[in-house]
Amino acid sequence: MERLNVTINGKAMSVEVDPSLRLVDFLRDNLFLTGTKVGCGKGECGACTVIMNGKAVTSCIIPVMRAQGAVIETIEGLAKGAQLHPIQEEFIEKGAIQCGFCTPGMIMSSKALLDENPDPTSLEVQEALGGNICRCTGYVKIEEAVMAAAERMRKGEEAR
Amino acid sequence: MKYVGKSIPRNDGFDKATGLGQFTVDVTMPHMLYAKVLRSPYAHARVVKIDTSAAEALPGVEAVCTFENTTDKPFNTSATMVTTPRPAEPVRDQTVFTGEPKYIGDEIAAVAAQTEAIAEQAVKLIKVEYEELPAVYDPLEALKPEAPEVQPVFGNKEHKNVCGEIVRIPFCAEEEFGPETMEHGFAKADVIVEADIKLPRVKQCQMEVHAAVASYKANGTLEIISTTQTPTPTKMIVAYALDLPESKVRVRNPPYLGGGFGVRIGISGKAEILAAVLSMKALRPVKLVYTREEDFLASDTRHGGYLHARLGAKKDGTFVALDTTAWLNTGAYCTFGVELLAVCGVCGTAGTYRIPYLNYAGYPVYTHQQTAGAFRGFGTPQGTAVVEACVDKMAQALNMDPIQLRKMNTMGPDDKNFFPFTVGSVGTNECLDKAAAEIGWAEKRGQPKTGNKRRGVGIACNTHVSNAAPFCVDYNAVNLTIEQDGTLRVNSAIPEIGPGSTTALLQVACDLLGVPFETATMIFGDSSAAPFDIGSHATRTLYSVSQVLKDAAEELKADILSYAAGHDFLDTDPAKLSLEDGIVQGGSRPLPLKELAYEAHLRGKQFLSTKCKVPENSLPFAAQAAEVEVDMELGLVKVLKIAAAHDVGHVVNPRLCEGQVEGGVLQGVGWAVREEMTYVEGEGFYNEGFHKYMLPTADDRPEIVSILVESEDPKGIFGMKGIGEVGCIPTLPAIFSAVEDATGVRFQEAPLTPDRVLAGLKAAGKI
Repeated sequence: MERLNVTINGKAMSVEVDPSLRLVDFLRDNLFLTGTKVGCGKGECGACTVIMNGKAVTSCIIPVMRAQGAVIETIEGLAKGAQLHPIQEEFIEKGAIQCGFCTPGMIMSSKALLDENPDPTSLEVQEALGGNICRCTGYVKIEEAVMAAAERMRKGEEAR
Repeated sequence: MKYVGKSIPRNDGFDKATGLGQFTVDVTMPHMLYAKVLRSPYAHARVVKIDTSAAEALPGVEAVCTFENTTDKPFNTSATMVTTPRPAEPVRDQTVFTGEPKYIGDEIAAVAAQTEAIAEQAVKLIKVEYEELPAVYDPLEALKPEAPEVQPVFGNKEHKNVCGEIVRIPFCAEEEFGPETMEHGFAKADVIVEADIKLPRVKQCQMEVHAAVASYKANGTLEIISTTQTPTPTKMIVAYALDLPESKVRVRNPPYLGGGFGVRIGISGKAEILAAVLSMKALRPVKLVYTREEDFLASDTRHGGYLHARLGAKKDGTFVALDTTAWLNTGAYCTFGVELLAVCGVCGTAGTYRIPYLNYAGYPVYTHQQTAGAFRGFGTPQGTAVVEACVDKMAQALNMDPIQLRKMNTMGPDDKNFFPFTVGSVGTNECLDKAAAEIGWAEKRGQPKTGNKRRGVGIACNTHVSNAAPFCVDYNAVNLTIEQDGTLRVNSAIPEIGPGSTTALLQVACDLLGVPFETATMIFGDSSAAPFDIGSHATRTLYSVSQVLKDAAEELKADILSYAAGHDFLDTDPAKLSLEDGIVQGGSRPLPLKELAYEAHLRGKQFLSTKCKVPENSLPFAAQAAEVEVDMELGLVKVLKIAAAHDVGHVVNPRLCEGQVEGGVLQGVGWAVREEMTYVEGEGFYNEGFHKYMLPTADDRPEIVSILVESEDPKGIFGMKGIGEVGCIPTLPAIFSAVEDATGVRFQEAPLTPDRVLAGLKAAGKI
């Protein structure tokens, strides 16, 4: 066991962990943050995407100790209490969700993009989501949702 | 209608956007064990010796099941096991484990242990000695007399390696045509064309892998939480295979599942039954989650194989005769082999056009490969692909516009068709016109091409079904309850596999009954939620459950209004009353259902209705137009745009409906230009993960325009038809047609990968 100091969804913690774990196992099995999904276990589908130090990463291929000192955001940290994040609201509103299994990763990739680039072009959205596989939607409404959320966030609108 | 026709956001959006919704992979249970499976490394072999002693001795191992200590009762993992109507019998050709593996990945044994890592280690400690046996992989090879037999016990006795039976649809029925044969039909034709197509196996790639948590208790109850698309049939299959009373088995989703696309109509791979036998041995809950590799290599794919069609027409373009044969690779076990070949014939070749002389033969062929089964479209895409190729060829032979030729031959509402039900409303020609206009057909089709990058447009049309009735057993029950505060609860065993069915169904239920949507709820995805429901498949969920909802809502409303008309309340004739937005209107005062339900409760009465129904069936029609750009040097086919026009009867929820079209289209694009499972002899399929299976992604999708055509079907509730599977069906032939327009070459094999395209262009002398 090793000591891991990490901030997750705004909460700093210092915990003993099995260093052989992947970051996704630590989140799902130790912290019960099961919103982060595993679709392939090889960093190929993006379902396990979380934001680590501002960047979207696939947590299924990251050894947990790589998160030492990191600031991590997961899907569970996006809403402020009962108030959903604009990206979450737009995913619901625009029909960007079907089975929902890719959704948390898709939303985290979108948030990483919009945090860095508040006014992306369609192409930039497509590129940012290129590593997140969705088999249900054909991506059309996902792209619409991200563009709509970007517009709202630029206007400084927190949520509806 | 207050709710039907509106894009109401889906009611599970909150759960799914927040990560709080539970999927099977998220489920844990007290005292739970984890399972791993030992799979055959050989395509065909006999287990000479198996030694599990080292695995059993490993600390943390709680159960080891093999073909030697587990029931060998044959069954079928797919829902066909319990939905095959008489006089046919389901093909029961599978056992939980096998000592004679028939494909690379076949289940030999499984272990349940304290952790997944221990289970994995234990599987490696099982020593198996195999004797390798000869194998066959291609359906045409497997039909030859010298081919090794895949299913000597359960295969067809007269036709080698045919699974079940050759599906013959002799459309030239004797009573109608007398002694005439198909050749009489072709003799009446002025022009005859033929087409061939070879199609690959492709994988559903639903985002959540197959998974199940099974909990068997020594008191004889078995509860399974899993990724199945069909909780009730899965309950029946498991109960049959393990000799348990169905009343003691419950199968449910938790309640969400990460997609299906047909891959788990019945058992999810084998997850439920493997977890169940381990749980019965360990007497503890057992969780089995497939790896993505297992999901790819040890569960059903779409059927690949060969199709040939011959089409005859009069000089003026009138179709006279169509004869189609399909030889599809169903793999080592049947699952849906027989039914799928039937749908390929009925929907894929006979449904779209009016053709008096029709014939079809479908060969579901066993091979020593993983099973092929249901995947969105269920045989219709394969049949449509070869028929639409023929239609394009006929247009060329007659020098006619392909759209004009199609429009003059499409099935009309009053035409006699070969379905055992009436055609209903038909929007095919409107779909053709709208798709053509959206793609710019008039300006773009048939323009001369020069240069390296050549653009072309193409089109295709199709039909399908809105459920499986009457081809297979298809009915469902719903239970409607008015809670004591007047709110509506709908119970159905039907799952929500992703389309938004539970939202759209509540829109329908609330409009049928006259109660508010905002407070209505649905309990779903659970064999214990309501009596029988065949599940979510065959484009049926919204269409078919709506049919029984109507009966239940009518009965419930009559009960409510009659009670409200009683002397305790409005003291009037119930015929004068109506229920609108949760308020009984038409009496001496508006009586809120909230008040009525509670007053009824105080008098010992609750408003309830349970109904069960075999649904009608309606034909959804569609046309898609594609625009492509072909790089003549590199052989790259880029799909620029798909204009997808779909006759959905009447739209219940436009945004959800568009989502079905868009998702289907992109699966069709993948099938046409990049997705392919490649078999390597001695090693198995190459595609063990997403890095070896090229799915379309957000950054390389075409523009997709969905156009919803409303033909108001007389049989559908509120005029609706099904949509679920239809989006992916005409995409491939539309793209092949566009590539032909761009290059002058009609390709006969999918997907259109650069090597295939270059070889085809070269062979045709185009480069």
